[in-house]
Amino acid sequence: MREAWPIRRYRALQDGELRRTLARVLPRMAEGRVRAYEDDPEAEVRRVRARDRRREAVRNPGLVERAMAAIEARGGRAAQVRDGEEAAAYLIEIARRRGATRVVKSKSMVTEELELNQRLAAAGIEVRETDLGEYIIQLAGERPSHILAPAIHRNRSQVKDVFVDAATGFGVEAPASDDLDVLTAFARRQLRADFLSADIGVTGGNFLVAETGTLILITNEGNADMVTTLPEVHVALVGMEKVVESFEDLTDLLPVPAMNGVGRRLSSYTTMISGPRQPGQLEGPEEFHVLFVDNGRSQIRGTPFEEVLTCVRCGACYNVCPVFRQVGGHAYGSVYGGPIGSALTPLLSSLRYAHDLPESLCTLCHACVEACPMDIDLPHHFVALREQAVREGLKPKGVSLTYRTWSHWWESPRGYRRSIRLARLAQRLYERRGRLQGGPGLLGGWTRTRDMPPVARETFGEWWERQEERRHG
Amino acid sequence: MRVRLFVTCLIDIFQPETAKAAVRILERRGAQVSVPEAQTCCGQFAYNAGYRDEATALARHFVEAFAKDEADAPIVALSGSCAAMVKEIYPELVGDDPRFPALHDAVSDLSEWLLENPGPAAAGGEQIPVAFHTGCHMRRLLGLSDEPKDVLRAAGAEPRTLRDADQCCGFGGTYSMSEPEVSTAMAEAKLQRFQEAQLEGAAALVGSDWGCLLHMAGRLSRTGRDAPVLHLADVVDLADTGPLTAGRLREAGTFGRRGER
Repeated sequence: MREAWPIRRYRALQDGELRRTLARVLPRMAEGRVRAYEDDPEAEVRRVRARDRRREAVRNPGLVERAMAAIEARGGRAAQVRDGEEAAAYLIEIARRRGATRVVKSKSMVTEELELNQRLAAAGIEVRETDLGEYIIQLAGERPSHILAPAIHRNRSQVKDVFVDAATGFGVEAPASDDLDVLTAFARRQLRADFLSADIGVTGGNFLVAETGTLILITNEGNADMVTTLPEVHVALVGMEKVVESFEDLTDLLPVPAMNGVGRRLSSYTTMISGPRQPGQLEGPEEFHVLFVDNGRSQIRGTPFEEVLTCVRCGACYNVCPVFRQVGGHAYGSVYGGPIGSALTPLLSSLRYAHDLPESLCTLCHACVEACPMDIDLPHHFVALREQAVREGLKPKGVSLTYRTWSHWWESPRGYRRSIRLARLAQRLYERRGRLQGGPGLLGGWTRTRDMPPVARETFGEWWERQEERRHG
Repeated sequence: MRVRLFVTCLIDIFQPETAKAAVRILERRGAQVSVPEAQTCCGQFAYNAGYRDEATALARHFVEAFAKDEADAPIVALSGSCAAMVKEIYPELVGDDPRFPALHDAVSDLSEWLLENPGPAAAGGEQIPVAFHTGCHMRRLLGLSDEPKDVLRAAGAEPRTLRDADQCCGFGGTYSMSEPEVSTAMAEAKLQRFQEAQLEGAAALVGSDWGCLLHMAGRLSRTGRDAPVLHLADVVDLADTGPLTAGRLREAGTFGRRGER
């Protein structure tokens, strides 16, 4: 059950520290993207090619089967899972077979979506997040608040508080300051032990190449390399829309996430994994599994919303969204927040479950589509989802009545003028010192925090008519 | 040259002085202004909220109101967002109407028309710094960002872009009324940038979209901050009638200024 939007909104807006943190960090990321394109004249051409390859890929239903065959051919195992329950069951089965009890993970949004950690914990399997941001929020018991930077809502001193609490629990020495080096050294020390003792490594996947069965992981901290080489088993969970056709497609695709998310040419680590340890190799896991996750994706395919599946999770839309900058990611009450989350969440689940997102967290400013490397027209989709909400009767009756009456009156100049005359009469109830205060419905929403001038004693239209009469007598 | 004025409902009802200023500046530049009297509202409020049938009915009415005569005279809009509604959204609502393509091509923002039809040169002298707010739809849907600033420069102002100019002011049509809390937080973020610009000498907040301006002026007024907020048309009208000064901007830019009171 999601918390209601007014509660999430209240909590977000009364958190001044959150707003200051976001105001400091997000513009830097957004400007980084703009500069990266300015510095590299070829980048725009590559972006358009990457977008086209992604569009073709999500339209091609045969790619998952091809990828599965390629993975199996190299000694890996591949399966399709419908939802979180099936994904967890697959992992629990491996754990039982091998007597495994400890999992380390690198950053993965799809496992958040599937609530994998909770499911594994319920089966007695201990899960440790190893991406620094994910590690912080796991210790804090929070959800990611940004698709790329999951702990972006916490500043250094707030991270230190989390680590100090955790240190007490672990029975180890707490970090001495909120110095960045001190904080990362603490996480590094703790995580080292987790890597070495883990039985299973779980990752997501940024892309997966159908022709070779190659899994691509784009990371910045190197933790995914530990997760995929130290434990004896590696399980990758990959959204079924992440499959691309050929290795060549990667030329244009690999730079897209870092370029658009933070304005860097490439991430620190790009890891390609094409199967388990082969005979004669010294490193790598014994078992390599790829789970292709549906969890609502196939219901988007073939609809007018299909292009949202081309999203590469770069976070560019989060970085520029003016609503996100005020309320942060937790206000969305969903795994995917920000503009893309406001479309993905209702599309992956149902509009009834999450129609608040496209309705209440977007002013239709179009900043997101301007920043999106895949040109996903989110404002257009938000309007389409709002229209669907109207059709499905998800809007309060009073709201619909207001919009319908208002539109109907303004369909004719007579109705328009009559509404203005009525407003002049009605506003006497709310006029104080030349401003409107209070008022019913939508007007009341405005006047709660802003002044509104009253309807002019003579509108421009009325004035113009008077001029015309004077002129033509 | 004939010019049809697309007044836009907010200006018609709450800020008629700005439309009168627009008529004056158009006439000074040789236009013969007509105001199709049946015009009401472009319907964006209904479209954005998901009431597509209602928005379509208002779009059809717009076509009726403007297709009556002078089918090829320019239609000059006083708010970028309303012009964008006609140019970018109407094709999916009334694209099937044979009268629509000519209207579509005729619509432009006031700043575009003013650039093509420059008026009397502004009196020389120092440029008055003003903070310029670009409406999101103006910039992202119509692709206009330099045009209004060029117009202001020609009028003797020095338009300064606010920091974080890419951020919406929180108006968003009826979003400002259905989500006042978030909308106001956004306005505050924007006004903080305006305040910085004021400290650096900006004499007024100027924009081309009366929706955004009403929102920010309404917030300034509610919180007791007194600062002139003006539409581009008001500034040009001032410049036409004398040198632009901080004092004249202040005098003209009182929030909620209405004629014949």
